[in-house]
Amino acid sequence: MSKNYEQIAALVRDTLVDAGSTFRQDKKDAYEKAIKKEKNEKARWVLKTILENAEAAEEAHSPLCDDTGIPHLVLEVGQDCAVTGKMLDAVRAGVAEGLRKLPGRPMGIMGGESQRIDQSGGLNPDSAGVEPAPILLRRCEENVIRLHILMFGGGPAIRAKTGRIFHKHDTQTVLDEIVEWAKDGVARLGCSPCTLAIGVGRSHFEATSMMLQAQVDGRFGVQSEMEKEITRRVNEADIGPLGLHGNTSVIATFMKIGPQRASGVRIVCVRPACCFEPRIASVEFTV
Amino acid sequence: MVDLTIPISEETVRELQVGDTITISGYIICGRDAVLPKVLKMIEDGTVDNMGLELYGQAIFHTAVSPAGVGPTSSNKPEIENSIEPLSAAGIKLHLGKGKLHRETIEALEKYNAVYAVIPPVTALLGKKTEEQRVIAFPELGMEALHLIKIDKYPAIIGAAHGRCIYE
Repeated sequence: MSKNYEQIAALVRDTLVDAGSTFRQDKKDAYEKAIKKEKNEKARWVLKTILENAEAAEEAHSPLCDDTGIPHLVLEVGQDCAVTGKMLDAVRAGVAEGLRKLPGRPMGIMGGESQRIDQSGGLNPDSAGVEPAPILLRRCEENVIRLHILMFGGGPAIRAKTGRIFHKHDTQTVLDEIVEWAKDGVARLGCSPCTLAIGVGRSHFEATSMMLQAQVDGRFGVQSEMEKEITRRVNEADIGPLGLHGNTSVIATFMKIGPQRASGVRIVCVRPACCFEPRIASVEFTV
Repeated sequence: MVDLTIPISEETVRELQVGDTITISGYIICGRDAVLPKVLKMIEDGTVDNMGLELYGQAIFHTAVSPAGVGPTSSNKPEIENSIEPLSAAGIKLHLGKGKLHRETIEALEKYNAVYAVIPPVTALLGKKTEEQRVIAFPELGMEALHLIKIDKYPAIIGAAHGRCIYE
């Protein structure tokens, strides 16, 4: 095992702990802004409590939520950089170390295929028994290798929706349907306010991939007109934090629209990311 | 703000109203999807007393208990929501979780003079207010085993009481 392997594993370990325990500054700012704007007293209490929780988690480097999530990895590769199998092994080792350090919830399911479905094989008591999702690879402009780690909770996964929308040659038709999906998902989630992560692609895989990348690229202080419209319309539904009413059902919308095909249909993925998501941290490896 | 200490009395429950902000202290039970149907089976079989636990006046928190801490899971998952009526009939007075409940569940809570409270999923803060934890039944379920924890002033809001619901 080379020193480089160990260095990468250590960087990934600490990045995963950051992802599971820290709000980025733009998210803290978004919460502060929402607290000032929110008129519903109970909603304001929830928002303040969530922000206090974030401060406590960051200070202790401890989980924001007991559902510490499934690691989802996005690897960006610069022009002259090479990704080796050994590097991917180091990333995987770092994820395992990070899950033990956080600590992640020991919720990996053991056993064969059927046992993994019905949960009859029992739970792996090791936090590192939670395997990461497949890595998404993409190019980046800078000449670096950059890894983004996102921790995906179960609640948003239950309420997310991926499916087709017939656009009828009108963007508004697609936005209207997205808003309806989002209102339904946010109302059922329970852990709002949400950040809506939305991907639009040509297949289920591509739309979901766009949804993941939207969370990597999205910034709370930078919202497109379409993102602003979706946020505003969902907030008008009076769902509120934890569903207790108020005008802060959604903090922001992160939407990524990929290439499209000549067709009357668009494949859309809408994930109502919970009040702690995107739980994300990033690290660059020196090359 | 209403400060509750578990166990709670019939009279205390009668005074709680939807929207009340509360704190909860004392020993409470923790269980979710995997274990609650097993507890219901024990109640049916008349073996629930073998756990050495008095259910009357108790609170049940819909959560796993793991090294990562505690935090509410959705109380409207079928196995959890279906436990609310029979557990209330068995004496549980406070169901603690998150998410909107069905009308039939709200009516069942009223029938047995029990309430539902919504707790923010603030694991880091709850960790500071959790003093003890131990498994009381079904240890083979790991983090989903039935646990007893001692807590100090968990914050929550009454979400359903006396036939009313905060989500409506």
